[in-house]
Amino acid sequence: MKEFFKVLRNGLSLENPLTVLMIGLCSTLAVSTKFEGSLFMGIAVIFVLVMSNVLISAIRKFTPDEVRIPIFIVVIASFVTIVDLVLKGYFPSVYSFLGVWIPLIVVNCIVLGRAEAYAYHNGVVHSIADGIGMGLGYTIIIAGLAAFRELFGSGKLSFLGNTLVNFGAGYRGPNILLLFPGAFILFGLVIAGSHALNRRTARKEAV
Amino acid sequence: MRDSIYIRLGLPLLVVCVVAGAGLAVTWTFTAPKIEAQAREAERTSLAAVRPAAATFEAVTDAGTLAKARAAAGDIGVDGVFRALDAAGQPAGVGVLVASRGYGGPIRMAVGLDRNGKVVGVTIVSMAETPGLGSKVVDDKSFLPRFNGLDSADAAKKVDTITGATKSSRGVRKGVEAALAAYAALGVAGGGSAK
Repeated sequence: MKEFFKVLRNGLSLENPLTVLMIGLCSTLAVSTKFEGSLFMGIAVIFVLVMSNVLISAIRKFTPDEVRIPIFIVVIASFVTIVDLVLKGYFPSVYSFLGVWIPLIVVNCIVLGRAEAYAYHNGVVHSIADGIGMGLGYTIIIAGLAAFRELFGSGKLSFLGNTLVNFGAGYRGPNILLLFPGAFILFGLVIAGSHALNRRTARKEAV
Repeated sequence: MRDSIYIRLGLPLLVVCVVAGAGLAVTWTFTAPKIEAQAREAERTSLAAVRPAAATFEAVTDAGTLAKARAAAGDIGVDGVFRALDAAGQPAGVGVLVASRGYGGPIRMAVGLDRNGKVVGVTIVSMAETPGLGSKVVDDKSFLPRFNGLDSADAAKKVDTITGATKSSRGVRKGVEAALAAYAALGVAGGGSAK
């Protein structure tokens, strides 16, 4: 059980897919303009990651090395399609915002990367922990980035039709926050911040 | 045993694909009606908002009419044409669903026109414009009504775009122009004979 949480925590900090492993950045930069959409994107990635990790780990003994990548892709693509259909049917507003980024989870390096680097070599239980940890690590960063960009870029923060914070009509945020350059700059700051944090924890543990 | 490698490698792949296919088929059976209903609902609410006074919409299914509308709209997609009928069953106008090009992808919108060919209303069915910039075409409540009352593509061309949302507002304008062109090609009866 201790091992389970250690694996889970790894995804959040020391091996965070976005700030440390630097994979899956494309969707992060593109989608993080709206808090609500990013949160659902994160949930979709968590679901796909956990499910594909479980399945790939469960069938790893029967998966020949030579054809493992096609098998991973089929498994991942199936779960992504399930997410795609469910979002389209039940959350049309979220679906219309995320659009092409949902099907593109198939080629998100995090999912294939974890299948190849972790689930293929580890047991089902640890693969679940890895999936949740990596997924949460992704979600926290993308949702935080999106909340900041939406709030300070457009002056209000809304979730499922409710406005959570509103700076009022007088607020004119810097447009760059909502555009791609803003995403790059902000994300750079996030990486710097998380590295500083990781280094401090590492130093504390060493003492 | 020259074939064994095909079986050794092919069989696991085949099994995975069959299971995945079956899983997807099941999911699709559950979600397909829901997805269909959502799409209808989005179109219905958008169309209802642009309906000429006291009229009901009836979809035009005649292939010839649709082809004529598509030809008139040029490179803007026409998703559907609706005939508006007033209480007496007389043609009261036309509703057109168009898919124009925005900055972040297609802008699907509904345009309603009355019996004189004047725009009654424009609503966005779905779009993927940048929040805070392109999304101003919806957030700026004064933008879409600017098209109301226009009766020709030339007039629509004169509608000012929004600062910071130039490409998005141009996309909306192109959509309205296409709807007006389709109307011009079809006439008030929505094409062909008025029933």
